[in-house]
Amino acid sequence: MKRRNFLKIIGAGGVGSGLGYLFGKANKPPTSELIPYLIPPEDIVPGVASWYSSLCTQCNAGCGIIVKTMEGRAKKIEGNPLHPVSKGKVCSRGQASLQALYNPDRIKSPLKRTGDRGKGSYEEISWDEAISILSRNLIALGEKDENDRLHFLTSLTRGSLNRLINDFMTSYGSPNHLQYELIQNKNLLFANNASMGIQTIPHYDIANTKYLLSFGADFASTWLSPVNYSSAYGQMRQGEDGIRGRLIQVEPRLSLTGANADEWVPAKPGTESILALAIAHLIVKEGHYKGADGAAWKALLSEYSPKRAASITDIAEERIHHLAKDFVKTRPSLAIGGESLARYENGVSGLVAVNILNHLAGNIGKKGGVIPNTAEPLTGKSTLESKNSIASLAQAASDSKIKTLLVYNTNPVFTTPNAMKMKESLQKIPFIASFSSFMDETTAMADLILPVHTSLEDWGDDFAEPAVGYPVATIMQPAVSPTLNTMGIGDIILSLAKGVGGKVKDKLPWNGFSDYLKDAWKDSYSKNKAMSASALTFDGFWNELLARGGWWPSERANGKAVAVSPNAVESHISKTPSHFEGNESEYPLYLTTYPHSHYLDGRGANLPWLQEMPDPMTSVVWGSWIEVNPKTAAKMGIKEGDTVTVESPYGKIKAHAYLAPGIRPDTVSMPIGQGHASYGRYAKDRGSNPIEILPFKKDANTLELALNSTRVRLSRTASSDKMVKIEGSTRELGRNIVQTISPDKFNKMNKETA
Amino acid sequence: MAGLLARIAERWNIHREPGFFKKLDHKWTMVIDLDKCNGCGACVTSCYAENNLPVVGKEECGVSRAFSWLRIERYVEGEYPDVKVKFIPVMCQHCSKAPCETGCPVYATYHNQDGLNVQVYNRCVGTFTCATYCTYDVRRFNWRTYKFEQPLDQQLNPDVSVREMGIMEKCTFCIQRIRAAKDKAKDEGKTVEDGDIQTACVQTCPTGAMTFGDLQDADSKVAKLAKSPRRYKLLEELNTDPSVIYLKRVMKEGPSKHG
Repeated sequence: MKRRNFLKIIGAGGVGSGLGYLFGKANKPPTSELIPYLIPPEDIVPGVASWYSSLCTQCNAGCGIIVKTMEGRAKKIEGNPLHPVSKGKVCSRGQASLQALYNPDRIKSPLKRTGDRGKGSYEEISWDEAISILSRNLIALGEKDENDRLHFLTSLTRGSLNRLINDFMTSYGSPNHLQYELIQNKNLLFANNASMGIQTIPHYDIANTKYLLSFGADFASTWLSPVNYSSAYGQMRQGEDGIRGRLIQVEPRLSLTGANADEWVPAKPGTESILALAIAHLIVKEGHYKGADGAAWKALLSEYSPKRAASITDIAEERIHHLAKDFVKTRPSLAIGGESLARYENGVSGLVAVNILNHLAGNIGKKGGVIPNTAEPLTGKSTLESKNSIASLAQAASDSKIKTLLVYNTNPVFTTPNAMKMKESLQKIPFIASFSSFMDETTAMADLILPVHTSLEDWGDDFAEPAVGYPVATIMQPAVSPTLNTMGIGDIILSLAKGVGGKVKDKLPWNGFSDYLKDAWKDSYSKNKAMSASALTFDGFWNELLARGGWWPSERANGKAVAVSPNAVESHISKTPSHFEGNESEYPLYLTTYPHSHYLDGRGANLPWLQEMPDPMTSVVWGSWIEVNPKTAAKMGIKEGDTVTVESPYGKIKAHAYLAPGIRPDTVSMPIGQGHASYGRYAKDRGSNPIEILPFKKDANTLELALNSTRVRLSRTASSDKMVKIEGSTRELGRNIVQTISPDKFNKMNKETA
Repeated sequence: MAGLLARIAERWNIHREPGFFKKLDHKWTMVIDLDKCNGCGACVTSCYAENNLPVVGKEECGVSRAFSWLRIERYVEGEYPDVKVKFIPVMCQHCSKAPCETGCPVYATYHNQDGLNVQVYNRCVGTFTCATYCTYDVRRFNWRTYKFEQPLDQQLNPDVSVREMGIMEKCTFCIQRIRAAKDKAKDEGKTVEDGDIQTACVQTCPTGAMTFGDLQDADSKVAKLAKSPRRYKLLEELNTDPSVIYLKRVMKEGPSKHG
């Protein structure tokens, strides 16, 4: 190259980059890249953390959290130490909610469908356009007088958001607001109402009990309020008083909670309620029950003799005697019935049987027993509602009775069996709008997607269910400003109300959800005496509320005792074990499924921390598996890590075999949560979803889907996918790593030190 | 000759007692009650969040390169229906006589004035010696520079450095939290009090199985718990003298069929 040409190129390049720099400068104000520390924002001091109290929404326990933020970014989540539910603690899912906020697969702006439904072709639109599309749709429905053809499907929303949605739907003229999640404790609410006449879930006082008889309640990982119960469990084991509470777990597959139990009672799947009633039978028969209605109980329980129960449940008669004696003699004792019991086809009857046990042993209303919560929470009404279910929504959709469906934060396409044909039903709905942060399977069916804030960016409140013997209200406040072009769900509904106009607009004149929320609390403040006594002015109260993270009375109210009467439960208890689909010769194994401790109903599967975190019972990462007893596996020639086809009468899926000694030889078990068809890069095409092959069975009373209701058969198959687990051997091989001490020695030792 | 022998003996003693400090400022200790631990793993996730641990993905996990500084080990005894399961959280034991410290050729890992076994990332040249010498398999090596997918990197804790390929790392007992608390106490003209410092795992543990504090402070919670007759240390017979004290799980010995 000539020297002259070289200089020309260098010169041109120099001018070009200079122009580029100037162009860039002109487009962006210089302050956009700097934080103006001359007048710094109040809550940003470089290198110093600001903490915000808020609410965890990863499950429905309603834990209070505190969020550490630095330079406007959320860094860490801890439990709110003042909060009565979380008590300063937080579980894995709660920790990982940071990764929902900063997830690379979040929907970044409103989307409108361009191609065929479910094919995933969308174009980005503005918020104004999105709201106007949706309002036009709702106005058009109203003009045709089809207001009641609008359905709103949400997750379990409580508190002010629930009220807002109800107000919106009522003023629009549609009664169809349905709350649905896979795990919503409808059976438990129904059973408690039917047997004890209480509309809320009571406080199970695990912390103070000395004998905890758990029928499949996996409270260490998913049941109701895992963080609260775990902290109670720690107290039960090594509490102040030095008397160690015992845990007995009845379930066919050893859960994480079962793994910590002193005794595992592996009853045959579906027979746990019979076992509970046999224990009840013995309590009455041996004269431990002192109530006036003893004769009626005796008559009601007459056919549940331990002898008969032993043959049904596969638990020795002597052992049932032993359980009954310990349960009634150890004071205080407590029986709880968890998800695996509740999700049989006769789920309600099992939970009723557990209530009977608590009544007969005198555990209701006692410290260390069942403490009923007040029926009226601070505001809002009870969530007990069993008339409608996701099945009736699917039916209405396939009958073309739904014109427009709004979906918020729930994923029925993933959490319902293929036999229910949810996806096909959704296809018949002319217009679906989804309010979601992620492209989950249900959102992928939507015509319009309005991305919502995650809980760390939004306002809200919640009333913990179950409460802890007294009501607990938690405030959710934004810990960081929105990171993407998203909107809070409450704000979306309020702008929609403006767009629709008319009655809806009159009913909901607020400009933003934070105003709505504040007004709702102003209302509670003026009505609730304890609240108004706690601060002089509402503004003072509100500031205190945001700082503390919520409101709860400083003193525990006394839970009233409620009785269970034989008449009330007679129609709910079952005489036979729960039914499983498929005949035994063709499908030799029972299939039980359980919500996984990290992914829950599948919502945690897109968070990389949770994917990489070894499963507590198998140490498997980034995939799903089926637990098979080693003896069963040996008979079928299945080795650990083999891929097997799991076939029920309703379909088949593939899974890796994990040989677990903690499962009955006639049972196999699979976790729920993996097997997503969409839902982002971390969740997609990973493992399989056992819900797909379940029959479409529901409890007659509550229409709740039965998760444990089919038999399956296994066959080996080939697959390129490998199961990855972290552990090597599960045996200690004499290294004495986890040292133990027997309960007798422990008690002796305690006496010596006391 | 006698002088030479005495000198050799002295050298040998120094070699045998690598704790160069006769008196420590603090003796940070963790007590883990195995009777409370239910193996849920909240501590593990909390550690990932606090210490900028990378997510390595399925393939890397498959070749034992998962990064957890803290793991829950699970041991099973017996066969169906007599199965017993035991959990134990294992992290760097911060041994007072740490095998890893004697091995490092560049003094990247050493004992500090607080009784902590610390790792200097800038010194580490990645010889892997410490991990080979470690009794508890708690050291983790950066086989690659692991990526934090954007915008997940916005969550990274600015108080903890992000490590690169070729560096050995391990549990630090959340030294950033210890430093912060000590600095704050110093600014206020006080000394660190019991309960001022909680490591990420201790703070999150739902069952309250873990406790952290200064063993030299006789009134501290850990000092009291460390007197429990249930106390033991992991693989104590190897004489590594760990700073993590476990309390035995209460569990029936032998077959447990009838509770």
